[in-house]
Amino acid sequence: MATTKTDAVIVGVGAAGGILAAELAKSGMKVIGLERGPRLKTADFEPHDELRYFQRQDLRPDPKRQPVTWRPNPNARAHPLSSLNYGNQAGGGTVHYGTLSWRMHADDFRPRSQTVERYGASAIPADSSLVDWPLSYADLERFYDQAEYELGVSGKAGNLQGRKIDGGNVFEAPRSREYPLPPLLMDQSGILFDEAARKLGYHPFSSPRAIVSQTYNGRPACTYCGFCQAFGCHVGAKSSILVTKLPEADATGNFSLITGAMAYRVNSDASGKVTGVSYYGPGGTDETIEAELVILTTFIYDNVRLLMLSRTDKHPNGLANTSGELGKHLMAHMMPNVFATFDDRYINNFMGPSAQKHTVDDFNADNFDHGGLGFIRGAQISIGTPNLEGGPIAASTAAPPPGVPRWGAAYRDFFSHFYARHGVMVAQTENLPYPDQVIDLDPNVRDAFGLPAPRLTYDFRRPNELKRIEFMQAKMEEIGRAMGSPHVWRTPLPPGVPGAHHEGGTRMGSDPKTSVVNRYGQSWDHPNLFVIGSSTFPTMGAGFNPTLTIQALAYLSADAIVSRYKKNPGALL
Amino acid sequence: MNKPDDKKHDDKKHDETRRAFLIGAALGAAASTGLAPEAHAQSHDAAMAPAHTMAASDAHGAFLNDEDAATMTAFTERLWPAAPGKPGATEAGVLNYIDLALAGAYADQQDFYRRGLAQLDAYCRSAHGKPFAQLGAAQQDEVIRALEQGKATGFTWPTAPAFFNTVRTHTMEGLFADPIYGGNKNFAGWRQIGFPGAQPLFSDADMQSREAFTRAPIVGLQSRGDLLVKGG
Repeated sequence: MATTKTDAVIVGVGAAGGILAAELAKSGMKVIGLERGPRLKTADFEPHDELRYFQRQDLRPDPKRQPVTWRPNPNARAHPLSSLNYGNQAGGGTVHYGTLSWRMHADDFRPRSQTVERYGASAIPADSSLVDWPLSYADLERFYDQAEYELGVSGKAGNLQGRKIDGGNVFEAPRSREYPLPPLLMDQSGILFDEAARKLGYHPFSSPRAIVSQTYNGRPACTYCGFCQAFGCHVGAKSSILVTKLPEADATGNFSLITGAMAYRVNSDASGKVTGVSYYGPGGTDETIEAELVILTTFIYDNVRLLMLSRTDKHPNGLANTSGELGKHLMAHMMPNVFATFDDRYINNFMGPSAQKHTVDDFNADNFDHGGLGFIRGAQISIGTPNLEGGPIAASTAAPPPGVPRWGAAYRDFFSHFYARHGVMVAQTENLPYPDQVIDLDPNVRDAFGLPAPRLTYDFRRPNELKRIEFMQAKMEEIGRAMGSPHVWRTPLPPGVPGAHHEGGTRMGSDPKTSVVNRYGQSWDHPNLFVIGSSTFPTMGAGFNPTLTIQALAYLSADAIVSRYKKNPGALL
Repeated sequence: MNKPDDKKHDDKKHDETRRAFLIGAALGAAASTGLAPEAHAQSHDAAMAPAHTMAASDAHGAFLNDEDAATMTAFTERLWPAAPGKPGATEAGVLNYIDLALAGAYADQQDFYRRGLAQLDAYCRSAHGKPFAQLGAAQQDEVIRALEQGKATGFTWPTAPAFFNTVRTHTMEGLFADPIYGGNKNFAGWRQIGFPGAQPLFSDADMQSREAFTRAPIVGLQSRGDLLVKGG
């Protein structure tokens, strides 16, 4: 057992951890990053292979070695999920993600107040823990801007300092300047979706994505190869942490990355301070890092699990858990699909960045009147590919239309016709937080390190969420028909298992009694412990992919640590 | 539909005619001296897929024994049967894919297959008096439906639907994974559906096109290196 000393230790060097590593190291702090997976490079992502990366999930955790279990309710036995959609290497999920890079709308930071103002308190389901965020869009705008420019996001402004611009997202909050890069090219599915949505009076636009549409910071432009979600980028056009912040951190000389390191405990002393992190090294060694500052930036399961595993006599319910809120309010986007096939044209949607290519924001958040609909909050509707990836194996996992079997000559003929002639829409629904949707430690299942697996208790099938899905499926069918498709169908919903973008578990807030961390991700209980990532989201913040907000929050926290905490360690208010 | 769309439809009809002509021309050219440039551009079509012999595609032995291989050959062929110009699972080498996968990446599923195949055999003998491979196609389809719907009796672990779903998933992998894994022989799966493989780039014109992608040959993992060296 070896002990190393440093200023800051960062557990999990992904979307948030990579930013904190670079920003803290640039300020002169000595930083060690712990990463349980390897550090890959752009050359590792050539050539593309759907079986290896999409189907066998080579860039994601192995569910057999690192199981995460799920049960729909506390009376059911939890079973391991068969696939895990988060990162397992330096750069985390930004290596394989679909790159959707959204700013939340201004009112998404105050969804409870805004809902009460417009519809009255009774519109909020009684069992939901819908709350306002402890910060505003104005607080985060400059950090959104910093993330877009430093990482490289392509898109078109729809609201430039209050001026609405057609062709961008007219529902977005005012931005201080245009995107650093123009939008990515449209494919056939985007062209058809755009025409159809306009015909229906909606406001379509090219989804903002962290892929460089032109040469940027020495990185080449996207080649539209289509191997995006589930794959690493073979030219480095995807603005992953691997090709953006890690080189910055390396250049400081203050950062060292330890790969193959599985953190299993945050250590603390009798005074309530955390003192560092213990981890299993690549060869199974037991190591400890002592640090002035401990920053947890793993995926939400491990942020929660690590705090629970770090319980002491003084903190019997886990670290940072005086509130009792640790592990609660788990949320996920549900992703209902509507397919549309064409007889008169090819779509070839295996071309171009594969996830959520073109969007309408008209039915997201509270951008439309929910009066009389029986649900609150909305969904981002977009066109793209089955399973957010355009290869044939992904397409073969999609349910065929009613009346077509999943095998045999009829399926063969359907699939041969369908594959190059389909588009698929997805509604990314903003499910509400509920306190009984939780992450805890599974008493029956352990991972390859002998640690209890994170256990999710979650079921999206609640009245508010089901009504929203029904509404969105009807909207997508309407758009599909307006696209000129003679064959439009919705696919069956999965069981209650959480969908994409898991959030919550270490909720941020303004009150130590009802939240785990403050707006900076700083633990109320242990001021030298920070937790940053989507685990701190109090609500889902619209039907938007969370990564850019995670990154903006990481810049906000880094700024607060460097400009204030370093000089005067203690609670940041 | 407004006017510009109607115009596009007219163009499309013209293109269909031209395409049918090119396919005919390609078949003629292939039969004589070789492919003309236009004909080569059509080489993704199933009609142009080279002929195969069954012997080259039913290789096994890394995991499956002869009897299980015969069952799997028959089973996967019913899931994706051959038709004129459309190679079935057998010709595409799906058996070879599954055999290699079970000896390697899916070695942890060997017992799942062993037990699943034994249960399938017992069910076929009790319900139809013969092993699966010796049943007629209609009876095989009946058995597969019974598996899919959970109506086949005598299954404990794996359950009948779980066994069906896994065989279906692995059949799709064998049809559509890169040939380097042992299936998708001569791109039989990709040709049938119009997937051009791991293309390193698509142009603006490719993205805007309403036609099948034929600008470049299908790219597999083993040919991609050559393509990049040639600047393709």
